[in-house]
Amino acid sequence: MSRAADSGGTPLTAPVSSAGPGGPGGLPPPRWRSTGAALGRTLYRWFPPARLARICVALAGIDAAAAVALWLGERGFYSLPFAATILPQLFSGFEVSAEAIALVIPLGFGVGFLIGWGRTSRSVLLRGFGAMYVDFFRSMPPIVLIFFASLIGLLGLNYLTSDPYLAHTVGLWFGAVALGLHTAAYQAEIVRAGILSVPAGQTEATDSIGLSRTQSMFLVVLPQAFRVSLPALGNEFSSVIKDTSLLSLIGWLEITGSGYNELFPSLHYGLQGPLILWIEVAIFYFILTFLLTSAVRSLENVSRVPGLEAAQS
Amino acid sequence: MTVLRVRALNKSFGDLHVLHDVDLDVEKGEVLCIIGPSGSGKSTLLRCTNLLIPPDSGEVFLDGVRVNDPAVRPEWVRQQIGTVFQSFNLFTHLTAVRNVMLGLVHVKKMDRKSARVKAVLELERVGLKDKLDAYPAQLSGGQQQRVAIARALAMDPKVMLFDEPTSALDPEFIHEVLDAMGQLARDGMTMVVVSHEMGFAREAAHAIAFMDHGRILEQGTPEEIFDRPGHERTKAFVGKILR
Ligand SMILES: Nc1ncnc2c1ncn2[C@@H]1O[C@H](COP(=O)(O)OP(=O)(O)OP(=O)(O)O)[C@@H](O)[C@H]1O
Ligand SMILES: [Mg+2]
Repeated sequence: MSRAADSGGTPLTAPVSSAGPGGPGGLPPPRWRSTGAALGRTLYRWFPPARLARICVALAGIDAAAAVALWLGERGFYSLPFAATILPQLFSGFEVSAEAIALVIPLGFGVGFLIGWGRTSRSVLLRGFGAMYVDFFRSMPPIVLIFFASLIGLLGLNYLTSDPYLAHTVGLWFGAVALGLHTAAYQAEIVRAGILSVPAGQTEATDSIGLSRTQSMFLVVLPQAFRVSLPALGNEFSSVIKDTSLLSLIGWLEITGSGYNELFPSLHYGLQGPLILWIEVAIFYFILTFLLTSAVRSLENVSRVPGLEAAQS
Repeated sequence: MTVLRVRALNKSFGDLHVLHDVDLDVEKGEVLCIIGPSGSGKSTLLRCTNLLIPPDSGEVFLDGVRVNDPAVRPEWVRQQIGTVFQSFNLFTHLTAVRNVMLGLVHVKKMDRKSARVKAVLELERVGLKDKLDAYPAQLSGGQQQRVAIARALAMDPKVMLFDEPTSALDPEFIHEVLDAMGQLARDGMTMVVVSHEMGFAREAAHAIAFMDHGRILEQGTPEEIFDRPGHERTKAFVGKILR
């Protein structure tokens, strides 16, 4: 959480190779001297050579797959015109999905973090509330929560405004909020497990040098907890991306919703129509998930502690 | 001048009465070694002294100020008492120099630059000039413990507490930690050391206290305790660890 910012602050610190000894060819990281190279150093940390190589391979793979798909289409294996006509709809669906995710993940992480932290606090009240929150939201299917929340949004707005368009929009966003609160319960448990994983010796040490409880939490416990929580958080993020498809059921025209809109037109092309349609939908989800998990993996790289992990991934 | 004074300290864990009316006086520049069988309450005494755990009753004075008092912030007390743990407890996500800097920046509110200068100085003192940017996991046990000593020293404590600082170390690394502690003692640091390292106790300690079942049974110079122990139990214990 803080390491990236920390090391930016001291030019005296040699850059830490996030690639580690097992990294790209075992080369030491280049020495950046001028402060002007700070950007380069940051870029280097986020995109070490091994990672750049992986990205290049991925891009080449995508290119190759697209070329093969195009070739098959030109050969008449499937209807290229149809595949092209639905793209704009799916692109706009992609944008809408991104909007939903931009609400759901920060909300889920923010609330999840607070609840998870509260569950490790000494206050019985906070612990009890946290436990109730987690128990409630984990025992609800997300779709039920979404229907329920959007209904509440619609009913509430019914009293406040006569504008059905506004009411509908608010209902849509209430559904997304419900999804955010749902994933928050899972993230709370991840955060809590991370906090519990920090040995008591660490807080004894912060106590012994006179740090306050809050300082101890933010300077020592949370950075360590966050580091071990990242893989599980990445897991939860990628799972909630796909849960946003449920929002189509209350009227969101995100990837799944806009795909569904094209279902009947697609039948003009025979059964290959829906097939093409859902393959394209799948590709859009793959891209979304790939982007987000890559971001999480970069965070994992940045927060890696040399010598601490047994396995280098 | 008495830096650390403990009076009638009591501590129980549930039904287990761990400390019975413990009294302790540590003069400025004095090195006091506490020895005693496992479970006798040595760690608990140290942890009550720096208020890591609250004593049930009794008084702890630091430089004449009563510190186990609701009006006194425990953070303020602990900042003036350096503690070195058996298991080092270095912050695993920070380099050696950042481990030392953390308290300087966030407790002493020094700016990062001067905090770093001081941290480097403290690490040099314990012979770790070339390990500034190593993470704890990249250091040997002896090196980690020396970083921990530097981290405690950097806060300019009035007294240093050591709880079995070498008992988690491989034999080959024990001397480097004891050397650092010996140097510290010669520099006039006030120290309370729980340790069964006889060499260190004889050379560096001014006084030895023998603790058993939550009481300080006997206290005296190293010669008195090791060579002419007065108490039967001291005699038995010293006999065991000297062999
Ligand atoms: N947090 C705790 N809760 C309950 N009992 C405790 C706790 N800490 C210590 N004790 C008990 O108090 C007694 C004294 O423990 P302490 O750790 O002070 O002994 P010690 O002299 O340091 O022993 P050692 O040489 O093994 O470190 C032991 O019987 C121990 O089981
Ligand atoms: Mg002990």
